[in-house]
Amino acid sequence: MSGFAAVLRKDLRLELRSGESTLALLALSMLVLVVLVFALGAARVRSVDAAAGALWVAMVFAGMLGANRALLAERDNGAIRGLLLSPLDPSTLYAAKLCAAFIFMAVAEVGAVILMVLFFNLDFDASMARLAPILVLGAIGFSALATLLSAITGRTRGGDMLLPILVVPIFVPALIAGVKASAAALSGAPFESMGDWLKIMIAFDVLFVTAGYLLFEHVVGGD
Amino acid sequence: MNNPTIRNWLGFSTLALMLVSLFMVFDYVPPDAEMGIAQLIFYFHVPLAWVAFASFGLVAIAGIFYLWLGDQLWDDLGYAAAETGMVFCTLVIVTGSIWAKPIWGTWWTWDSRLTMTFILWLMYGGYLMLRASADDTPQVARFGAVIGIVAAMDVPIVIVSVRMWRTIHPAVLVTKQGTHGLEDPRMVWTLLVSLTAFTLLWAWFLMLRFTQLRTRSRMAWLAGRIALATAVASDPK
Amino acid sequence: MSAPVVEIRNLEKTYGLAFVLREVQLRLLAGAGAFIIGGNGAGKSTLLRILAGLEAPSGGHALVFGQDTRRLAARYRRRIGLMAHQSFLYPNLTARENLEFYAELYSLADPRECAHQWLGRVGLAEVADTRVRAFSRGMEQRLSAARAMLAEPALLLLDEPFASLDHDGAEIVAALIRGAVERGACVLATTHGIPEIDGVELAVFEISRGRLMQHAHKEEGRRGGRIRSLLGR
Repeated sequence: MSGFAAVLRKDLRLELRSGESTLALLALSMLVLVVLVFALGAARVRSVDAAAGALWVAMVFAGMLGANRALLAERDNGAIRGLLLSPLDPSTLYAAKLCAAFIFMAVAEVGAVILMVLFFNLDFDASMARLAPILVLGAIGFSALATLLSAITGRTRGGDMLLPILVVPIFVPALIAGVKASAAALSGAPFESMGDWLKIMIAFDVLFVTAGYLLFEHVVGGD
Repeated sequence: MNNPTIRNWLGFSTLALMLVSLFMVFDYVPPDAEMGIAQLIFYFHVPLAWVAFASFGLVAIAGIFYLWLGDQLWDDLGYAAAETGMVFCTLVIVTGSIWAKPIWGTWWTWDSRLTMTFILWLMYGGYLMLRASADDTPQVARFGAVIGIVAAMDVPIVIVSVRMWRTIHPAVLVTKQGTHGLEDPRMVWTLLVSLTAFTLLWAWFLMLRFTQLRTRSRMAWLAGRIALATAVASDPK
Repeated sequence: MSAPVVEIRNLEKTYGLAFVLREVQLRLLAGAGAFIIGGNGAGKSTLLRILAGLEAPSGGHALVFGQDTRRLAARYRRRIGLMAHQSFLYPNLTARENLEFYAELYSLADPRECAHQWLGRVGLAEVADTRVRAFSRGMEQRLSAARAMLAEPALLLLDEPFASLDHDGAEIVAALIRGAVERGACVLATTHGIPEIDGVELAVFEISRGRLMQHAHKEEGRRGGRIRSLLGR
């Protein structure tokens, strides 16, 4: 447990010091939203479906960057080897990296939601509170998956390009559920109506956090 | 597994059964009343889908065994299954499109099954891109195993979510479900024969590719041995 | 009779057609100090990485504390200190923060105090709150030594510990190695020249054409130089 706290604290301290990741994530989210506003055209920018879709596109791109960043710090000076040699469990390392990626993503999401409301002419009202759990579930699932897979792509040639190719198809179920649930939340539908979508997201999160926890040692260890 | 006799036998019986199945599809089975001749592609499409999904299941099983036992054999099997599966999965999408054009009036629609097959195709495409972008080291073999396992785990959630996605939005087109009534026993027989024929074809492909990969792994091992032996031979006494 | 700290039997490492190590035999007991010399690319670093469990051998066995290095449990890993070519330090953390972080990972009782002591020992107390990014190669090397020895490992693996160190730095690291051997740790280091550390009896090996041989000793030289079970007494 102390290893988990030490790694997470170290990652957050590095992030607070430079602010690189969070800023990059926020900038990317904003650009994605701007591009989508122009791509969709002013007429469609009023619909909550478009807003929910745009929010999730921003989230997927920012999440990819966030997961990469969480492992990037370990590549300088080969620090990852120092961690693997220490008594720290690879699974604990995964848990800490997952938390760090989640926190970076959550910060970017708050920014993205604010921008979405402004760009898509929505209101800051009760629908935001309904949106929060959906985004949290989405960010957990995405961080879990992307942390595991970026440990793979970070160690192969041309890996940064491979990460989206591997992550996006696997993330599809959570993406479908997230977009649908977000659109429902923004249009003011009752919470119960999103129940099935939330269940899919919870199942996705449980499955991929467990898988990452169990499989991480195979992707960081050896050779 | 690597016995050439079995392989040849498998190849010839695949050929024979394929011919029988072609005959049955084009001459024996009555075409569907509503869809006409386009429906005949169904007897290739369904067996292709079955072997494609079986391949991807095999990738995950081989991945589990590889991580567990660390024997190169399992990685060779998983890689062979992924490549074979990718070929068949592509054919599933192609045959599906050919069928959909006259029946649904479009090459592609985001029907739940099409979407699911396409997502599978993307996932295993990613797997193959990863394998192609790196050397065949034990490390990359482990990466492949992990991706194979994670992708297979994802399949049930993909199925559920994609189905919900399409049913909440009312489907504009008739679902495939309604068209699959095999009222004539000749249809059932034809399907069974072509299922067997394609399963044999798949097993044959898989075995050929697996044998190749086994040979390659052995050669890599031998190359190391030869390097060592050469070094030992040239040692000053 | 305690098990040897390091036991290597018939170790081989090949990368495709190229072999790096072959027929390597080595046995080191607690309190032994050994240096490995050899040209660039001789396989010295590979041998240390295999012992640390960061790389898998292609054949043969590498045992540390009687455990196969391919699967070292946490309680054995914590008894190994590795100082590699790469420093394993975070450039954006200060020297103190780096040591405190590793002290926490090794669950040392008082990370703060421990980091403080080690900074003093390697002569970096004055730059304790400077980020490692701003360090010279030699300063980073000193800090890397402190990082490796922080948890008082029973097996200390040092890859070129004297590289890019000035005279003072080399003295400090030599003293640390002497200290480690004296408290009963087993030290295995690589270097280019034949080192001398006062008060420590060092065995010197050479890796040549993939094989590990004891260096420059008459009897062993005549018998073909293959190491069987040396060291220890």
